[in-house]
Amino acid sequence: MSKPLLRVRGLSKSFPGLRALDGVDLEVASGEVLAVVGQNGSGKSTLVKVLAGLHSPDPGAEIELRGADGVTVSGAEAQAELHFIHQDLGLIPLLSTVENLDLGKSHRGLGLAPAARREETRRARELISRFGASFDVTQPLVLLSAAERAIVAIARALEGWERDDHVLVLDEPTAALHGDEVDRLFEAVRHVAARGAGVIFISHRLDEVLDIADRVVALRDGRVVADVPAGGFDRAALVHMITGRELEETRVERTAPLGEPVLRVDGLLGATVEDFAAEVRAGEIVGITGLLGSGREHIAGLVFGSVMRRGGAVRVGSEDLPGGSPTKAVGQGVAFVPADRHAQGAVMTMNVRENLTLPRLGPLRRLMGRLDGRAERAECDHWIGEVGLRPAEPERALDLFSGGNQQKVVLAKWLRNKPRVLLLDEPTQGVDVGAKASIYELVARAAKEGASVVIASSDTKELTLLCDRVIVMRDGRAVAELSGDQITEAHLVRESLGLSEALPPDPAEGQHAR
Amino acid sequence: MVQALSFRNISALYIFAALFAIFAIWVPDTFLTATNFRTLLDNQALTAIVAVGLVVALSAGLFNLAVGAEVGFGSILVAYLLSKQDIGIAPAMVLTILAGGLIGIVSGLLVVYARIDSFIATLGMSSVLLAGVAWVSNSQQILDLGASFQEVGTGQIVGITYPVYMMAALGLLVWYVLERTPAGRRVYATGGNIEAARLAGVRTNRVIIFSLAACGVLAAIAGVLASSRLATGDPTTGPSFLLPAFAAAFLGSTQFRGGRYNVAGTIVAAYVLATGVKGLQLAGAPIWIPDLFNGVALLLAVGLSKFQRTAGRASAIGRMIGRDRAGRRAEAAEAAAP
Repeated sequence: MSKPLLRVRGLSKSFPGLRALDGVDLEVASGEVLAVVGQNGSGKSTLVKVLAGLHSPDPGAEIELRGADGVTVSGAEAQAELHFIHQDLGLIPLLSTVENLDLGKSHRGLGLAPAARREETRRARELISRFGASFDVTQPLVLLSAAERAIVAIARALEGWERDDHVLVLDEPTAALHGDEVDRLFEAVRHVAARGAGVIFISHRLDEVLDIADRVVALRDGRVVADVPAGGFDRAALVHMITGRELEETRVERTAPLGEPVLRVDGLLGATVEDFAAEVRAGEIVGITGLLGSGREHIAGLVFGSVMRRGGAVRVGSEDLPGGSPTKAVGQGVAFVPADRHAQGAVMTMNVRENLTLPRLGPLRRLMGRLDGRAERAECDHWIGEVGLRPAEPERALDLFSGGNQQKVVLAKWLRNKPRVLLLDEPTQGVDVGAKASIYELVARAAKEGASVVIASSDTKELTLLCDRVIVMRDGRAVAELSGDQITEAHLVRESLGLSEALPPDPAEGQHAR
Repeated sequence: MVQALSFRNISALYIFAALFAIFAIWVPDTFLTATNFRTLLDNQALTAIVAVGLVVALSAGLFNLAVGAEVGFGSILVAYLLSKQDIGIAPAMVLTILAGGLIGIVSGLLVVYARIDSFIATLGMSSVLLAGVAWVSNSQQILDLGASFQEVGTGQIVGITYPVYMMAALGLLVWYVLERTPAGRRVYATGGNIEAARLAGVRTNRVIIFSLAACGVLAAIAGVLASSRLATGDPTTGPSFLLPAFAAAFLGSTQFRGGRYNVAGTIVAAYVLATGVKGLQLAGAPIWIPDLFNGVALLLAVGLSKFQRTAGRASAIGRMIGRDRAGRRAEAAEAAAP
């Protein structure tokens, strides 16, 4: 076998309190399409970032590329041989194909020499025709289809390759594409591979992976759990690879009986959500899952009212909860832990104490509007103990904590309100295993104390551990509702992908019986 | 305690000591006099008031580039009311101050409902106000506002002029609201991360409007005092307050509170800057020295905030200057992404 184009040995990457990659080995040969699959948090995106040089790996990792004339290169030189296309493509939509291609080039001097328009147009047309595409290269990209834009991104990555055997990394390139557009993109990718490039294709769409890959590497919890040639397995095997069947986690035990319905959602309409309805009882934990773009990621915000509703009604207890006013929602005892901690979850520059009390400062108000500092500190100390914050420093700015501990603070600030409805969106994204367990405990306890809990999550394991019921969404609609023994990871993944009919039941399922 | 006295945290006080020592040796005869310090206190009181107003806006995450024009508008409006409308001193001052608040509210509405960035909204507002000033005054000074009105800005108690006391009282009030009340907490939260504050139930729209209104009120008060001191409404007076006030607020944010805009730091900074300018003037420096000094101080203040960032905490200035924010966001996001 010829020398691989890219060779990665013993690649690890640790973040504070989190080992995102753990001794990853992989190889890509010339002309090969390697698919890397795994769930959210499995380490796919960290792998891409390390390869792209955005993260430096832990010491001991080897990343080698076959450079020109078969000489092995590493470090900065290797960087030049790797080409990336990220999910957002990194293009400027208001500029044309020609102009976008030009941005990738280096110019002599100050770059003020007049652009050779006709020549560039001709070259751009030639370049995209290599991918079997032909469209107007002088149109702004916004007027092109998503697949055409992806092709422009690939063309730009390939511009300036002196040889054909570089490595191209595609990170979730199909997230914005429809079925036949995906085919066009794949055709382009195969063209590139056929000319001798190595392609790393990162995706969570399993059908696609089976379609295009020569070899599949599955990541789970930062480790390579499978490295197999494509063709020897089917979807079911792929689902197994991704979800795994390793050490069982203890399900959070909950025995309290469910109370009256508290949260009622009817006909909810949003930009990506069609006619969503649900009823959650006091003490109940309801999960919502689905692929990115299924609408799953908008439900919590729509219910809370931070995202504008196009229609529908939400009732908390006997009151209507109008959309568009987080203040009203908080007043009615609704709490919302958003997915993006940094942008929405907390004020990172303020300290733990200030973040904790922000949603409800009223009870700490004294004469002349004074904030009772002593009472506030006492309350803060109480909650730090309650959620097990590490380090237990109330005056420390939030951005100096690890992701898991930040999330504990976000959760604590809402639990302090004794919420009737607790909405969580990806509550353990970017959270290490230890903190995950305590977050699960806290959520379960909130439910036990009578809160109606809704968890929107792409982490199927999380849902199997916590939920009484799980609603699966596809294309903006709820397509399935699982409860009790039905809630298994494999089942959830299949429903999310819409494969439920295609697969026989899995005998290993049912281990999470409540 | 060590941290509290560290150079980084109270550098302005050290700079003040250094400036004091330099000028005490350089121009002892004029610098080291009671009169000099009284004038210094008095002269800088108005800038300090404006800077304190800016602290409110900046804490809420808002640039108020109209603050200089708001001072100018206040100074002309009060002069106009006194000379052309012939109403009493108290009603004229109250009306002017209310108008200042109203201007702030309008800026706030532009930011909140027209969704114009505060930088642009107040820049536009500034030009509109300056046009208003020229219109009301015909670009002429409004003279002879009367001795009793002049008394407001020049009267003294134990040798210290009223504006100094007003500055102290207003500073105390704003300090109390920002640091000791839920309202202040919500202002800082809005400035720290408006989306997170909104999702925590803070009425961020209201915070924005009130912050700009408060800033407008303080600017109008400074405007009234400016006219009162000379018993003259001068249409050119406003814009010169803009830069020193920003310099004081920015430099102040590097003091005492680890990168947060705060009243005490701002007032200290305002006087440190004034001491430098005054000393140089006494030493015979040319007329353009104040501009140079304030400009360099502003740049240094922002530079200082970068140093603070290496201590692991983003400064308020850093957050406002978008480039910096993007950098931190990227870092944070990477650290969070598994």
